[in-house]
Amino acid sequence: MKKITLQYFAVLREQAGCSEERLETAAATPAELYEEVRARHGFTLPLSMLRVAVNEEFRDWSSPLEASDRVVFIPPVAGG
Amino acid sequence: MQPFAFSTLPIDTARGRKALADPACGGYATFEGWVRDHNEGRAVRHLEYEAYAALAEREGERIVAEAVAKYGVQHAACIHRIGDLALGEMAVWVGVSSRHRAEAFAACRYIIDEVKHRVPIWKKEHYVDGDSGWVNCERCAQPGEHQGHAGRTHAHPHGHAAMTPSHAAPDFSRQIALPEVGAAGQQRLRAGSVLVIGAGGLGVPVLQYLAAAGVGRIGIVDGDVVEASNLHRQPLYGVADIGKAKAAVAAARLRELNPEPTFAVHAERAGADNLVDWLSRYDLVVDCSDNFATKFTVNDAAVILGKPAVFASVYQYEGQLQVYLPRDDWPCLRCLWPEAPRDGLVGNCAQAGVLGPVPAALGAMQAMQALKILLGLQVESAPALHVFDLLGMHWRTLKAARNPACDHSPRDLQSDAIDPAVLELEYASLAAALASDLTLVDIRESWERARDDPAGQIEWHLPLSEFLQGSTALPPEGRYLIVCAHGVRSLALAVHLRSLGYAAVYSLAGGLAAVDA
Repeated sequence: MKKITLQYFAVLREQAGCSEERLETAAATPAELYEEVRARHGFTLPLSMLRVAVNEEFRDWSSPLEASDRVVFIPPVAGG
Repeated sequence: MQPFAFSTLPIDTARGRKALADPACGGYATFEGWVRDHNEGRAVRHLEYEAYAALAEREGERIVAEAVAKYGVQHAACIHRIGDLALGEMAVWVGVSSRHRAEAFAACRYIIDEVKHRVPIWKKEHYVDGDSGWVNCERCAQPGEHQGHAGRTHAHPHGHAAMTPSHAAPDFSRQIALPEVGAAGQQRLRAGSVLVIGAGGLGVPVLQYLAAAGVGRIGIVDGDVVEASNLHRQPLYGVADIGKAKAAVAAARLRELNPEPTFAVHAERAGADNLVDWLSRYDLVVDCSDNFATKFTVNDAAVILGKPAVFASVYQYEGQLQVYLPRDDWPCLRCLWPEAPRDGLVGNCAQAGVLGPVPAALGAMQAMQALKILLGLQVESAPALHVFDLLGMHWRTLKAARNPACDHSPRDLQSDAIDPAVLELEYASLAAALASDLTLVDIRESWERARDDPAGQIEWHLPLSEFLQGSTALPPEGRYLIVCAHGVRSLALAVHLRSLGYAAVYSLAGGLAAVDA
């Protein structure tokens, strides 16, 4: 298990009811982590519509997660 | 003859005409202002004019010189009476001679309008009823129609008009003072051109700051009209503008701010058919649109033409900012979002709220990035998506790299040659919809259905999130009416399914909120 800081934006923030959370997870990749929190928060967006950044850099969904990583899930937004 | 003079004697127009005569001129236009017998409903017996001569003559000469320079006429002069004048007497005379008549008329009109507006002359009206009153001509004058450029319609409040002489122009000294700008930078801005897509919450501050900074040419693209619900975040507009074309109103307001730039108004929606043509005439594009389809079209146009693009989007309290630069090491929008999102499928159905300062902050940052591009300054040290949360006050800079899998080439985003309007069906009641030959499919999420409609009147429930996860529970040969809370998600899904080959998919217009339960 590793401690991760997670940040949510836009519709994910709404659905999660918070903009940031810290959690312990066994997830090996951002994709696994998303599936984990998606089930818990009832996120409606599929992973394919999101991007993930780890420690302020965009990453592949299958890149490895390390302890104390900062993970951000970003949905596209279009409002103007 | 003097370009501008005061006279205590009746004006000798023949002398004026002779002084302006020139064999090179093919036209001579004059204007005479007379003392009339009424003003604002009161009968006038005679008038007295008084001027602060030293100041007035200098301002008058300046106006005549402006007219000569502005319209390229050969000669111009103006004489104004002072002292006591009887009814019918000539109070002011303007004469202009030029090669062609159009310039003569225009310069003549300019001079009289500006003189009435700017020259400090007071008029004492003696009324038939024995009363009298001083009227400051500046105060009673109409706003100078020639201030700056033609086309101004905005009325100044009384008493303020005189404070802005018509030759006034923005003074850029406070930005020229910056070492990164300087006189050369100001010249670059004046020579620069920017196409702004969308004149809404983001577009308003972008347009204001670009015009204010002295960018020479600004294109405004917006096919919408001003709506009452726009004003809280688009304070360039006022209640009197509701229903008017945004792009045109914006251009008029920006001309008041700075009359120098050229403003091109495109009061239509930006699309794949017009954007490349428009953008080819500008140095860069600032995307202030409110939908994915336009954003990706802007991206494609910028990539095709090799022009920088400054993108921003907002959602409630959050904003995203990204710059595209035509460089080999710089990602485009499609590098970041290989699967271009479909409008309506991301976000919730209820209209997302927004506080005005959120798009204003993002728009101001877009203007900043655009000015840096025009000035030739480094835009940022590395490509990034900046994500702002103005509620929590967080700013994340997420480094973005070029995606090796992205070909940066345009894709036909809206494969829907489908007109969404034909997919919307209206029903007076849910019962009427249920009685139709269509199968109703409720795509609200389970929690919405449990909260709003515990009885679950629509038998078939297939949450949108399951569709997005790739559900194939809907046989393509069926006839469906897609239903959600407000009709936004259902329409987006109907368009999407049509593009997948579903022949008979419709959306309940307005959603369940619009029908009687």
